[in-house]
Amino acid sequence: MTDFSEKAGSAKMALSRRGILKSGTTLLACALAGSTLGALSRQAFAAAAKPTSLNMLYATSEADSDAIKAALPDFKAAMGFDINLDTMPYNALQQKAFAELASGSSYYDIMIVDTPWMPALTNKIEPITDMVLDGALSADLNVKDFIPKVFFDTAVYKRDASNLHFDKTDVVDPAAIKAGGFDIFGLPMQANALTLAYRKDLFDDSANQKAYKEKTGKDLAPPKDWDEFTAIAQFFTDPSKRHWGTTLMAGAGDWATDDFKTLLAGFGGDGHLVNDKFEPTFDSPEGVAALTFYADLINGKKVTPPGTTSASWDNVATSFSDGLSAMTMNYHDLSLSPSVKGSVAYAVIPMGKSIGPHFGTWMLSVNSFSKNKEWAYRAIQWFTSAATQTKALAHQLHPTRVSVYEAAIKDPAIGERFANFYDVLGKSLAVGVGRPRLTNYGDVDRAIWVAVNDAARGAATPEAALKAAGGQVRDLLAQAGYKAQ
Amino acid sequence: MTVTVANDEARRPLGRLAFSRHAAMGWGLMSPALVILAIMAIAPAIYLVYVSFRHENLLGPGSMFVGLQNYSRVVSNRENWSAALSTIQFVVLAVSLELGFGLGLALLLNRRLPESDLLTALFILPLGVAPVVSALVFRVLLDPAYGWVDYYLQTWGLIAEPIDWLGNPFTAWVAIVSLDVWQWTPFVTLILLAGLSGVPSDPKEAAIMDGAGPVQLFWHITLPFLRPFIAIALVLRSIDAFKTFGSIFVLTTGGPGTSTEVINLTLYRIALQNFDIGAAAALGIVFLVFLSVIMQQLLGVIGRNTDILED
Repeated sequence: MTDFSEKAGSAKMALSRRGILKSGTTLLACALAGSTLGALSRQAFAAAAKPTSLNMLYATSEADSDAIKAALPDFKAAMGFDINLDTMPYNALQQKAFAELASGSSYYDIMIVDTPWMPALTNKIEPITDMVLDGALSADLNVKDFIPKVFFDTAVYKRDASNLHFDKTDVVDPAAIKAGGFDIFGLPMQANALTLAYRKDLFDDSANQKAYKEKTGKDLAPPKDWDEFTAIAQFFTDPSKRHWGTTLMAGAGDWATDDFKTLLAGFGGDGHLVNDKFEPTFDSPEGVAALTFYADLINGKKVTPPGTTSASWDNVATSFSDGLSAMTMNYHDLSLSPSVKGSVAYAVIPMGKSIGPHFGTWMLSVNSFSKNKEWAYRAIQWFTSAATQTKALAHQLHPTRVSVYEAAIKDPAIGERFANFYDVLGKSLAVGVGRPRLTNYGDVDRAIWVAVNDAARGAATPEAALKAAGGQVRDLLAQAGYKAQ
Repeated sequence: MTVTVANDEARRPLGRLAFSRHAAMGWGLMSPALVILAIMAIAPAIYLVYVSFRHENLLGPGSMFVGLQNYSRVVSNRENWSAALSTIQFVVLAVSLELGFGLGLALLLNRRLPESDLLTALFILPLGVAPVVSALVFRVLLDPAYGWVDYYLQTWGLIAEPIDWLGNPFTAWVAIVSLDVWQWTPFVTLILLAGLSGVPSDPKEAAIMDGAGPVQLFWHITLPFLRPFIAIALVLRSIDAFKTFGSIFVLTTGGPGTSTEVINLTLYRIALQNFDIGAAAALGIVFLVFLSVIMQQLLGVIGRNTDILED
């Protein structure tokens, strides 16, 4: 027994020693492997072979491809390789982007992504959180310079629950984003928000100012609220002179939803249209009030040019440019036709019970199938940098960084060319309301713009139109697997 | 009898051999075309049927077999029925008008006037314009604020206020059908003109000798000879009209509301905007079955009317 116990004891000791040696060796190996892999992964960000070129898919007009094209020579000089740029109009772009990602194609290293697409793409777009957190790779990123609201609405998603919003949105903190289980999926590039453009020459005209004062007892100035907006629109409406107060984008399309959600937020409703509990918020008293006001401007007060119920965002831009209206709401800066003598200035959309101009931002993202992810990240970092965005202002890029708006406001050349557009755009983005995060937003959007269009042309009452759309949206949400909570 | 059977039996293997050699050669010659057909048409069609029974998420996990769910969804959706009715309405209206105007123009151009060649060349110009471009031009012409149509209608005192052509379902349909008629009437005219040139002069001269007037000549001589060509124009135009997409997409995008949404717009929206490939495949197959029935009837029209050519 003793022998056995001694043997057992010595064996135990031997095993113990062996075990300790084994464990120690394993731990050491793990530690070495871990540190080596860690170092390798850090080095991978810094040492991936530089490509001769990268392919980029971009939007033609919606995200201002001229600005990108103009920046390409500077990019080559700074980065030492080319960007092969493909630009497409919106519908073709979406189909191309989705087809490329669905087929796992690595052709495009960089893709521009519109906000409503992203909930369906979180499994196909590369999360760049770790690269953003990599001090060496992102030394010049200055991520806190991005407008927080724009950054979080555009680029921060939870991969497996793409409907969720990150809750701490006052400052861009990548570490907190990662700790919260969220990821960064790109860097915001072009921020579009609805702004109010008006004919400054007509507003400054002394005869108009006098007449308006006599009529309303108020000074003629850009409208601060929707009542003033209506009064000014009525004041400038004179169909006999082919002149109307304002344009509205009530035609069949996404733009009608954007008009409506802006008013919905202004009338105290939830401009996101669908809340985080997957409940439609637009078929509400606020929604009915907003749509009633909208339809009344067209059919009751008749302050919009003919063709409003078939107008899109580019139609209203043309109408305003051709001098048909004194005010308009659009996503970009506007200029007047040479035959129209006058000038344009901008104001934030009027305030109601609240304010929430529609906004939506494009971001530059890295294709998760790209073979040049790190360099694609470096490239999008360069394109969205403050220096590049500041230079792109002259090409009408809508920046996404606070410092670029500050630079734009101080630059007299920009002021001379675009009046106060950038100042107003920056302020609008700060109070803007984005879209709901739904994989089937296209369907939801369509149900709403059909309701807006029906009400605007008097085919249905606002109540009936919104009730029908609300029912449709509930069905669509259920079909997409969103269960009301 | 026995001998005959024996002979037949004796002959059969040789016949089979000869047939199989002959058949093999035939199949061999056809095989390149069959391979292309299999790759380009049969395989996609099989895949389409397969996909129609699945929920296909192209961009992530979650693709699964769903049985008849896609079919049930597309058939029970009232909007799809409305789009199908709009499609039929469009085809019937547009093709009827094209046949009417096309026949009129063909009779006019067949009169061998000195200007006939020039007029024929002018009339076929719309055929050379891409439907999307035509739609863009129509959109500008019909713009109530600065389009020519409303401008001249107002100038001539025909309307008091501009018409928002694309903002009202009725006038939007007028615009869509007018565009199609403007673009495709020349096609019908060309077919019927070819038919008119083949009408023999002898029966006409005999009828004139018997005192037949122009209407009787047209009704009893020209029209019977023209029937096969009308049938061909009807079938070709109907097939093409069912496929109309670009012009309606550019002109109205299905609006106002959903009043001009035809089935092709619905398919485009489901497949290429919502990427709901399963539902789009199911709707496509349902539409294909429907079209097959219609086409069967239309091909019967051709069959019944080409007898005169054989005679």
